[in-house]
Amino acid sequence: MGTIAKIHEMLVNKQVSCEELTKSYLSEIEKANPELNAYVCVTPEAALKTAQAVDKKIAAGEEIGSLEGVPMTLKDNMSTKGIETTCCSKILSGYKPIFDATVWETLKSQNAVLLGKTNMDEFAMGSSCENSCFGGAANPFNTNHVAGGSSGGVSSAVGGNIAAYGLGSDTGGSIRQPASFCGVVGLKPTYGAVSRYGLIAYASSLDQIGPITKSVEDASLVFDAIAGKDKRDSTSVGGGNTYATLDNDIKGMKIGIAREYLDGVRDDVKEAVLAAAEVYKSLGAEIVYFDLPILKFALPVYYIIACAEASSNLGRYDGIRYGYKTAHYTGTHDMICRTRSEGFGEEVKRRILLGTYVLSAGYYDAYYKKAQNLRGTIISAFNKAFEQCDVILAPTVPMTAFEKGHATSDPIETYLTDICTVPVNIAGLPGVSVPCGFNAKGMPIGMQLIGKSFGEAQILNAAYKYQQAAPDKFIDTKWGVKL
Amino acid sequence: MVTREDVENIALLSKLFVPEEELDGLTKSMQEIIDFADAINNAPASDEGFDCINNLSNVFREDEVVSSYPSTEILKNAPEQAEDHFLVRNRE
Repeated sequence: MGTIAKIHEMLVNKQVSCEELTKSYLSEIEKANPELNAYVCVTPEAALKTAQAVDKKIAAGEEIGSLEGVPMTLKDNMSTKGIETTCCSKILSGYKPIFDATVWETLKSQNAVLLGKTNMDEFAMGSSCENSCFGGAANPFNTNHVAGGSSGGVSSAVGGNIAAYGLGSDTGGSIRQPASFCGVVGLKPTYGAVSRYGLIAYASSLDQIGPITKSVEDASLVFDAIAGKDKRDSTSVGGGNTYATLDNDIKGMKIGIAREYLDGVRDDVKEAVLAAAEVYKSLGAEIVYFDLPILKFALPVYYIIACAEASSNLGRYDGIRYGYKTAHYTGTHDMICRTRSEGFGEEVKRRILLGTYVLSAGYYDAYYKKAQNLRGTIISAFNKAFEQCDVILAPTVPMTAFEKGHATSDPIETYLTDICTVPVNIAGLPGVSVPCGFNAKGMPIGMQLIGKSFGEAQILNAAYKYQQAAPDKFIDTKWGVKL
Repeated sequence: MVTREDVENIALLSKLFVPEEELDGLTKSMQEIIDFADAINNAPASDEGFDCINNLSNVFREDEVVSSYPSTEILKNAPEQAEDHFLVRNRE
């Protein structure tokens, strides 16, 4: 399996040069991408230039870092200097940032090999990746199914071995849900652990950047590299340092299951998650059941807050400073309205309208203020839950990856996909999705481990122990680079 | 109850045009989402407040002049420009 650890070992032992490795990823992208549609932009020149620099270091006998020379990708909402960054929206077509997002600046300084930018639901709004102006990414386990969203491109690329790892962003489940659908690991860090500078905003109080990887060790390595306080993001606090404790004994660890997380979940998913709980018991952990009734309000709270923040954040797209501008107009107001109406997709417009509605006079108290109030209640409920357990085990998504075209018909039904993932964003907690089985059709099932605030080390420790105990749940697809 | 007029007003505030033929469909879809959001009004009342995650406080810095990006770089992304400025719109 093409994990970061394996690639690092091969580079250090000179089994393959970084240039050869990068070329094989680029050639597999060319073969697989017409079907997977994971990449929306490929950057071979910059990738090969970095690869040659890494080879020079290795030839000179210099030591290389764990992420150095490893081919990877970024979701298309992270700013990359001189490389088109569109959020998969027509309104940002042609936009080339003049600065790097902090996460990319950090990885670039460690000679990460960027293969290209990956597909997503427009402005990260969606759960299937089909809201992309480039069309959706396909699931590497079965290309008739969606990759999930919104970070569908990264998950499809990592699951399809056309990137060793990637960075996604998670506002209501956009890292964990596609990771679950594509049978890979996805970590949504604690709010504030990773800088959001240069991440194109959807809902600023919920957005976090995190890794999508093939293994738990890889998620830990990447998270430790990108976590940190950044003076350009005043909500960043820092974090990291999870790798050293990955293999700690979990004997006596209390793993909580909130009954509400299992309500309405498909049987195959529920069985797989409960089987994982049995694995934890066999490792000496204690399973604790409890109730978290406030969870039933999490989804409406999420949609109210996220849309309210989005309606404000997306006010900046006016056709004046960057991106798309309408061709024919009669005045300034007309120009801005036409630009936005032509440039945004249907779901983005729906969320802007909903956000504007809940923030408008007469509705603000009933919706936005009430939702913020409930946000406080949900945070307290999680704090109380963590008095009884160390980590919470839950399904990542109530179902497995659905067939293409299924998600677009009914917005509410599509929103329900996020029911198990949004509580973590509302409370600002860390959550990791880990593969835990397959349904009868061979589609992957994911489980979610939720931790206390800044408790990434604990959830990754628990995830790693599971991976060691159940390696058969982490399987490769037919696509891409084989190492 | 979300009306057609509500949607028209909200669209104006959002600087979006909703074509006449999409107005009924959008009103219905907005109503469904608002019904769904209304669930929160059945939540138990609490005086729990929320300001921000992680108890952050405002960050102040010294008001120092620092170099920024050259305007020529910034203007490269402008769909239209005139005399080294962003062009908002052409004169009629």
